[in-house]
Amino acid sequence: MNEAAWGRKLDWTSSLRINPAYWVVAAILLILPAFASNFILYQLFGWTFILGMIALSLMFLAGYGGMVSLAQMTVAGIAGYMVAIFGDSAITDISQGWPWYISIPLALLVAALFATATGWLAGRTEGIYTIMITLAIAAAFFYFFNQNYVIFNGFSGFNGVLPPKLFGLDWRHPIAFYYLTLFWAAAWYFAAIYVSRSPFGLALQGIRDNPRRMAALGYHVTAHKVAAYAIAALPAATGGILLTWQSAQISPGTAGIGPAIDILIVAVIGGIGHPAGAFIGAFIYVILKTFAVDLIVLVGLGSERFRLLIGLGFLVVVFWSPDGILGLWEKLKQSRGLNPLLRRAGRRS
Amino acid sequence: MTNGAISLERTFSAGTANALELRGVSKTFGALSALDDVTITIGPGEKRAVLGSNGAGKTTLFNCITGDFLPSAGAIRFFGEDITNAPAHERIRRGLRRTYQISLLFAGLTVVDNVYLACKGVARGRFSLMRPGRRDTIMEGAEELVRTVRLEASRDTKVSDLSYGQQRQLEIAMALAGAPRFILFDEPAAGLSPGERRELIEILSGLPSHMGYIIIEHDMDVALRVSESVTMMHNGRIFKEGKPSEIEDDEEVQSLYLGGGNA
Amino acid sequence: MRTGARRTRYERGKFDVDGRKSDRRIATSIGEAVAPAENRPLRRFAENHPWWLAAIAISTAILLYLIFAIWPAWLVQIIGKKKVFLNALFNGITLGGLYFLVASGFTLIFGLMRNVNLAHGSLYLLGAYIGYMVAGWTGYWLLAFPVAFILVGLLGILLQVFVFRRMERQDLRQTLVTIGISIVLADIMLWVFGGDFLNIIPPSWLSGPMETIFVTGVKRSSGDLIYLKYPLVRIVIFLASVAIGVGMWTLLNKTRVGMLIRAGVDDREMLSATGARIQLVFVGVFAFGAGLAGIAGVVGGTFQSIAPGEDVRFLLASLVVVIVGGMGSITGAALGAVLIGISEQFGSVYFPTYSVVVTFMIMVLVLAFRPQGLLGRS
Repeated sequence: MNEAAWGRKLDWTSSLRINPAYWVVAAILLILPAFASNFILYQLFGWTFILGMIALSLMFLAGYGGMVSLAQMTVAGIAGYMVAIFGDSAITDISQGWPWYISIPLALLVAALFATATGWLAGRTEGIYTIMITLAIAAAFFYFFNQNYVIFNGFSGFNGVLPPKLFGLDWRHPIAFYYLTLFWAAAWYFAAIYVSRSPFGLALQGIRDNPRRMAALGYHVTAHKVAAYAIAALPAATGGILLTWQSAQISPGTAGIGPAIDILIVAVIGGIGHPAGAFIGAFIYVILKTFAVDLIVLVGLGSERFRLLIGLGFLVVVFWSPDGILGLWEKLKQSRGLNPLLRRAGRRS
Repeated sequence: MTNGAISLERTFSAGTANALELRGVSKTFGALSALDDVTITIGPGEKRAVLGSNGAGKTTLFNCITGDFLPSAGAIRFFGEDITNAPAHERIRRGLRRTYQISLLFAGLTVVDNVYLACKGVARGRFSLMRPGRRDTIMEGAEELVRTVRLEASRDTKVSDLSYGQQRQLEIAMALAGAPRFILFDEPAAGLSPGERRELIEILSGLPSHMGYIIIEHDMDVALRVSESVTMMHNGRIFKEGKPSEIEDDEEVQSLYLGGGNA
Repeated sequence: MRTGARRTRYERGKFDVDGRKSDRRIATSIGEAVAPAENRPLRRFAENHPWWLAAIAISTAILLYLIFAIWPAWLVQIIGKKKVFLNALFNGITLGGLYFLVASGFTLIFGLMRNVNLAHGSLYLLGAYIGYMVAGWTGYWLLAFPVAFILVGLLGILLQVFVFRRMERQDLRQTLVTIGISIVLADIMLWVFGGDFLNIIPPSWLSGPMETIFVTGVKRSSGDLIYLKYPLVRIVIFLASVAIGVGMWTLLNKTRVGMLIRAGVDDREMLSATGARIQLVFVGVFAFGAGLAGIAGVVGGTFQSIAPGEDVRFLLASLVVVIVGGMGSITGAALGAVLIGISEQFGSVYFPTYSVVVTFMIMVLVLAFRPQGLLGRS
């Protein structure tokens, strides 16, 4: 089993020594609104950070815990539905209109409970079973959202779901929304890196590498897995709420089977071994989704061939670089004998 | 090392009973008898080597002691307590540890994290999301063990990048985690270079005197230098017991062990 | 065959002695789950789970009553017309037959090679489109089956040789690659065949309803019994899938090749050590499993419709069937398929809004109480 290889790139996390590359990236992201257009801020980067957060929750489970869950988009979707149901939307029959400080925590809580239940079902299985069960759960909830009109308003879902006017700001304004998504993306990114070296995070990685040995050392393997699902629900749920605010609506299609697979694609293309991979993959995905259509039309194919392009790109990545873009980066570094991000010669040995 | 009171208590009880007693232990697989009426007594702090050719029943002996297999007959006592039918984790909790021939380490984690996980397994706070601080006693214990097995230079290397010999050293550190009372070493020198063997001998000789162990080893040189007594096994039976020097000079052992072990 | 199986077990015992081989062994099987006669699984089940047995017996009795009795008025008041009930039941069973055809290939491939082919649904859809074209061009409905079987089987061989063989024992990569393949195939098929709903027309001798022996009610005027009319094509197709299932079971349990396959499931290394050409067996099983999905596509295209998205639907159905029935077990796949088929149909008739939830609840219950599936080996 090559599962260990998927979590190879963890040595980035082993030191929090802040290197220049981080400062450069941080500086660019912080001053971006000064020169970028609203479209770039709201559509490209807002969406990148949101997708990145949801992919990060998959990365946390898969890269650290060896559990590939396709239900993370469903977790995000549930959180989005909950802010629409507990908070405000155009569907006033269903929406409760509770204030944000109740509806948002409640949304996070419900999403975490759902993830815990998913983890309880999937956590007692391993590898491929986890993928299959979470895929089945994602599909079941997609159909459930579609068919249930009493709570989830069926096919049409909810529109007019807007963020609260906190501090007198319109959070859907491109610049405000950009900083909002950037803040949460950065927060969850650093949280994931921090937790990876905590006793819980280490135990999770131990379970990924060798569950039997972990059990022999006195760890409750299943309990750790379920807890990982609960924790990983938080970035996904945050992403789901922000996604709902971004388009001001949520419907079953938001958390369908296609989007669930797309989250996997995002995490894998970026590199599933490190939190950065989730955001790199999300950025590539968003750029492709936004501009590839023009490119395909240029080549002479119909614009609807986008999924063919994504599928082929995904195939190329998983065939030749199972560790995604970060894996390619790592290979490049090794071939040059220098680690530009850490300013250290190759791997320490 | 995790908790002073417990390890003190263990030292006391270690003085009162034999570390390990096997009485007439047998293990059969269908018609095959892998262990046949094995009786071994190992005193507190005693370091014993078990020698024998392939198929002599050494690994089966370990599996019976650790609880991977239940013996078909006989009884096993660990510091006076009957553990013949106790589940494996129960035995671990009582301070019995073993190393494995095949590597069962956490390949994606660093050396110190591997040892830390092993130490943390018997401690509180396994679900903590806070990183261990500089003064974390478990982390200190892990660092200490890394030094004990002389891996401090590779402290932050990932296990998948370690040499084979270093992985064996790490395996020993994992077995030493959590204040063990008795350790079973399963061919720790297999596949090691002469230099690494010397290091292994030093590591084993450096263990505290109250910590007893059994070592299965093919390399007579290693086995006789790290043990106080030797048990020779053949075809699932005890063939001879004695001091290392006696065994070394024994002609029967010589012919059986050094000349073609398939006898 | 029996002596062969026994020898396998003896060999395994020997490996246990040095304790190394034992933990690497793969613990799933087609053969074991298909009830080896000497174990008397039914009797063992009865002894271990008397309450379960009683529950099963009672529900079987109720079901038989519901099927054969002339329903009294109060029952009609509670459940509705008997005709609706019988139709839902038979639709469920025939749908189960279709699910079995798809899922048995999936579970066979998984059981033997531990290969997870998430492009299995695409193979189904491809088979359906091939069948549509062949039946349309030649006018021979029956010809669609062998052509779909062979062409989709060939694609299966390509998958096995170029994808799975290169990624042995890398579950996750296999999954990802097959997801990628299914995305690409889905889009190519959409490109070639368009997004319309298509139907394979069965030949005239198969179309139309057939009178069955099941009574749906009594005529008020004359007192004559009314018998259920049911589409002939569904009955024929269901019987064919039962025949295929029984054939597979016989092949696995009663022939030398089947013994080889089952031994391969139990211990792959041992099988290759005996000099059996294991790779050939693998390719054969993969081709067969894929071909079955192709045949299922023709079946599905005949009594349902062909459209983009059906690939995902049937992949999901296979997953649920296999999770419920037990990975790698042919009998489990049959049981799971019928269970899911029936629950889906009853769900859509009696709880139309929550039909999927009913299916899902079955999966959750099975996972909660028997994570390895109803007939799976833990």
